[in-house]
Amino acid sequence: MRHLLLTVLLGAIPVFAASPEVTAYLDSLHTEVKQSDPAFTGFDAKRGEQIFTSSHIGKRGEKVSCTSCHNVNLTASGKNIVTGKMIDPLAPSANPLRLSSVKEVKKWLRRNFKDVYNREGTALEKGDVLTYIDSK
Amino acid sequence: MKTALLLSTTALLITGSLYLMADDDHERYKSYEHYESYRSTAVPVPAASAKSPEATLYGKECGSCHMAYQPELLPKRSWEKMMKTLDDHFGVDATLDEGDALLLTSYLVKNAGDAKPVPKDFAKIVASIPAADAPLRISKTRYFVKEHREIPQRFIDQKEVKSIANCNACHQDAAAGDYSERSIFIPNYGRWDD
Repeated sequence: MRHLLLTVLLGAIPVFAASPEVTAYLDSLHTEVKQSDPAFTGFDAKRGEQIFTSSHIGKRGEKVSCTSCHNVNLTASGKNIVTGKMIDPLAPSANPLRLSSVKEVKKWLRRNFKDVYNREGTALEKGDVLTYIDSK
Repeated sequence: MKTALLLSTTALLITGSLYLMADDDHERYKSYEHYESYRSTAVPVPAASAKSPEATLYGKECGSCHMAYQPELLPKRSWEKMMKTLDDHFGVDATLDEGDALLLTSYLVKNAGDAKPVPKDFAKIVASIPAADAPLRISKTRYFVKEHREIPQRFIDQKEVKSIANCNACHQDAAAGDYSERSIFIPNYGRWDD
């Protein structure tokens, strides 16, 4: 009875804020990276942080970073630098809708890598940046 | 002589005031006119519960970075061009999954300003666009430019507005499709009374 209670309580703590379908997507990215690099040990939030916070000449020909719109503090709202529209916080801890829909995650990763990096993100980059966001 | 002078002056005054009252730029009457035409001839703005799946999708997808501009604000040809160039949408990548793109294109084309009866101010925007043009920027159409020509640039540049494309910063009912003068409130300035 005691063990049952403990298990239930521990099970209630979300280990991973992402939804099952986004977790599955991350697993597929993991497999993809592992296929091209057998030495791959896993995604890293620190690498993800670097991807997210570094500046690059983006699609519009100006220096930009993910933080330009999403804010350095992911629990705070961001603001679209082009239109001024407010963006809800990216951190799942502040916004439970984040990392819940794989369709949304794929769409925004595609668009925003193109905007900041002028190219699609690699599977490794996507996994790292998702891991970083998920840690916030 | 005096009578003739009196009569002609009175006639001139009457003609003059009739002319002034009929002037389209006399904003007080104009805003009422807009309100009436919006109410009576408009395709009604659907209540949230009556919104079609396409309209909801449009609001969600095309309202994520800016206000979801009403399809009635541009002609079909502009929307078709817009949807074909989402990979470079005013400098950013706004691409959609193919199914959604098709759905939204058909929604926009079906509800465009030249596809059906629309309120007067929407019709004027579309009518002011030369037939050979398919502009993507609503704010660069002739009628729009004319309507906004008197706004001091600093009102637009201020951080609460930022851009002329940010309709709902000043047009408080823009999201509902109502751009009448009575609902304008410019941040750090106030109502707009011509």
